[in-house]
Amino acid sequence: MNGEFFIPLLAAAIQSGTPILFATLGEILTEKSGVINLGVEGMMVVGALAAFWIAQSTGAPLLAFLIAGVAGSLLAGIHGAVCLWFRGNQVVSGLALTILGTGLADFLGTPLIGQSAPGFGPVHLPTLAAIPILGPVILTQDLLVYISLLCAPLLWVFLYKTRWGLALRSAGEFPEAAAAAGLNVVAYRWLGVLAGGALAGWGGAYLSLAYTHLWTNGMSAGRGWIAVALVIFAFWRPGRAIAGAYLFGGVMALQLRLQAAGTHWPSSILLMLPYALTVVVLVLAARLERGSEAPAALGINIDPHE
Amino acid sequence: MNGSPPVVRLDGITKRYGAVAANQDIRLDIHSGRIHALLGENGAGKSTLMGILSGMVQPDSGRILIDGQPRAFRSAREAITAGIGMVYQHFMLVKAMTVAENVFLGYPGVLLNRRRMEETVAQLARRFGLDIDPAARIGTLSMGERQRVEILKLLFRDSRVLIFDEPTSVLTPRESEHLFDALRRMAAQGKAIVFITHKLDEVMALSDDITILRRGSVIEGLATTAVTSKHELARRMVGRDVLLQVQREPYEPRQLVLRVDGLSNAGLRDIRLEVRQGEILGVVGVAGNGQKPLVEAICGLTAPAAGVVRILGEDWHRFYTHRRWDGNLAYIPEDRRGLATCRNLDLVDNFLLTTRQGFCRGPWLLRRRATRKALRLIRDFAIQPADTRISARQLSGGNLQKLVLAREFFRRPRLIVAEQPTQGLDIAAIQDVWNLLLNARKAAGILLITGDLTEALMLADRLAVMSAGRIVDTFPVDDADKLDRIGLMMAGSAA
Repeated sequence: MNGEFFIPLLAAAIQSGTPILFATLGEILTEKSGVINLGVEGMMVVGALAAFWIAQSTGAPLLAFLIAGVAGSLLAGIHGAVCLWFRGNQVVSGLALTILGTGLADFLGTPLIGQSAPGFGPVHLPTLAAIPILGPVILTQDLLVYISLLCAPLLWVFLYKTRWGLALRSAGEFPEAAAAAGLNVVAYRWLGVLAGGALAGWGGAYLSLAYTHLWTNGMSAGRGWIAVALVIFAFWRPGRAIAGAYLFGGVMALQLRLQAAGTHWPSSILLMLPYALTVVVLVLAARLERGSEAPAALGINIDPHE
Repeated sequence: MNGSPPVVRLDGITKRYGAVAANQDIRLDIHSGRIHALLGENGAGKSTLMGILSGMVQPDSGRILIDGQPRAFRSAREAITAGIGMVYQHFMLVKAMTVAENVFLGYPGVLLNRRRMEETVAQLARRFGLDIDPAARIGTLSMGERQRVEILKLLFRDSRVLIFDEPTSVLTPRESEHLFDALRRMAAQGKAIVFITHKLDEVMALSDDITILRRGSVIEGLATTAVTSKHELARRMVGRDVLLQVQREPYEPRQLVLRVDGLSNAGLRDIRLEVRQGEILGVVGVAGNGQKPLVEAICGLTAPAAGVVRILGEDWHRFYTHRRWDGNLAYIPEDRRGLATCRNLDLVDNFLLTTRQGFCRGPWLLRRRATRKALRLIRDFAIQPADTRISARQLSGGNLQKLVLAREFFRRPRLIVAEQPTQGLDIAAIQDVWNLLLNARKAAGILLITGDLTEALMLADRLAVMSAGRIVDTFPVDDADKLDRIGLMMAGSAA
């Protein structure tokens, strides 16, 4: 391994990991409020389509990025309505959301296949980019990478340093206690669901605005599911989500490079790598017995009559 | 009653659940600076009434007047804003968070400064003599310590009316005394204290006013000074004479069922004790002095790090790894809702949780046979309602505890570990549970962990006093000399 292989790989790992990072942070926020949303994949791909479409029709990538968040929130709103209003099963609702989202994006996106849209390119910071290793790997990325990196500490500050974060976490740990303290628990869960959806939508937007500038169906390629697994691997901590997302980004990028380099491994095996790693990571997380760090009321709906 | 207008007046409060009137035309006044005891059996409607006052339950009719102004609470927040706070019987604390975080939950302010939060809580705790580590996680605290956190939450919000649901049910006598001091201090500062209880001694010792509820209605409201005796109060409360006396047959210890020698674990130091069939060993002490780790080690929840634990003649590891134990050991946990039962399973399933022998054929459960058996136990133990199809959460505390006892005793265990078995029960249920335990003593050795000294004296043949993770002394209950010094022993001084 030499620098010519390694440095571009690290840079690619960050690009490939950024959508996962957005989505993982979003799911951490949602799960901290006590709602499990398995619709991350669906929200991502709808966000990707919304971003692509807005970017193509307005030529304003930043606006497109913001709208992708709104689209993710809207889809998450369905999950919120099912779980928070009608107290439906969170797992089933989330799965339905993934199926709905991917189906919707495939259907609406088919006419756009192969078209391109304006997006984000690398930021040029002449002096910083010259720093060895750090320069080419981190300091020549696009704007969205920096936004995602900023989101992690912001989420941490929100969860652990503000009273809204405390309230949101209490809604995920013991909603009865939060209600007894006079908090509107359902409202905090809505916050978790909608903001989590927005972050998933941004993750999708990264795929269509920065990772590629082309539309293809099935663009998220299971990244939403990886994000769901990464939440556990990260023990619901935003900081660890960064490491996890880039680890997966690295495996995805490596897999592409190995294919391009023409190994004798069948491409289907290589494509499997990130998902195999997901299983390994989940087993590892379980071995470390950190599953107990899950919010205590995760997946349990709030019954206002009890 | 004093002449000042009441801070809270309940005027004709009625609340129905289906056909049952939980509260029927309730009228009562709560004055600031006074301690108001709300007395009644389980199911008398006390909790519903306090739920209404604290905004968690909406009444069907009636008015709540705060300082003479009618107010309707649509949520807990509105009640809190009006200065009404509640310490629930089942604590409303987030286990994964620290004491300080729980106190600050729902409090205005944007940024949370960990150190300042902890300092504020520590100061408040010192002011009211409530000893607590503000940085500790709730999950690591004893029930007594958790209650202090609940009280701190109210004090922190400057509540004017503080409602306590069964406040001493989780406390030892010494902790109760601390609580009473705190309550008196709060009343002296002009706060109105309402406390719900079954314990008549406490009512007599602590309260200024008494309201007696029975079957959803106010039977009587009176000043404590007008009450002549405890027995009179008990009779008014249950409508029949409950003298809290139990039949205790002479003590005839037989073979050893539990021997603990030199057990040391997290929170335990060099524990030595023995329990023989036919006796009850009462372990008393202030909550959080090692009772919980002791029970967990004996019941197989944590492995002993050092020392010998022999259960029914078998070494701990052998006893718990050879899963052939045929129900010889029964554990009656303190937390009957969380650990002893599954709230959403029906009574037959809950019965089968620990007792499957005789109700299985190959992979099949013989549910019909189990249902018949469960129904008989429900009748024998007078569990209300007598219906096997309802789920455990629909039972009141007393009935749930009787179900747990019925289930555990059905297996004819030879060692019973009972942890706070009457905590939060009404007088009639306490008497039932006590008699059941004394009956079970004939065939089993019982380790009774209790914070209620009366209970220990009533039931136990020998007492073991715990302090700071050690057994300070073990002695027969009729050793008057040592009984006199039991308070000192609990405080940790050697016997």
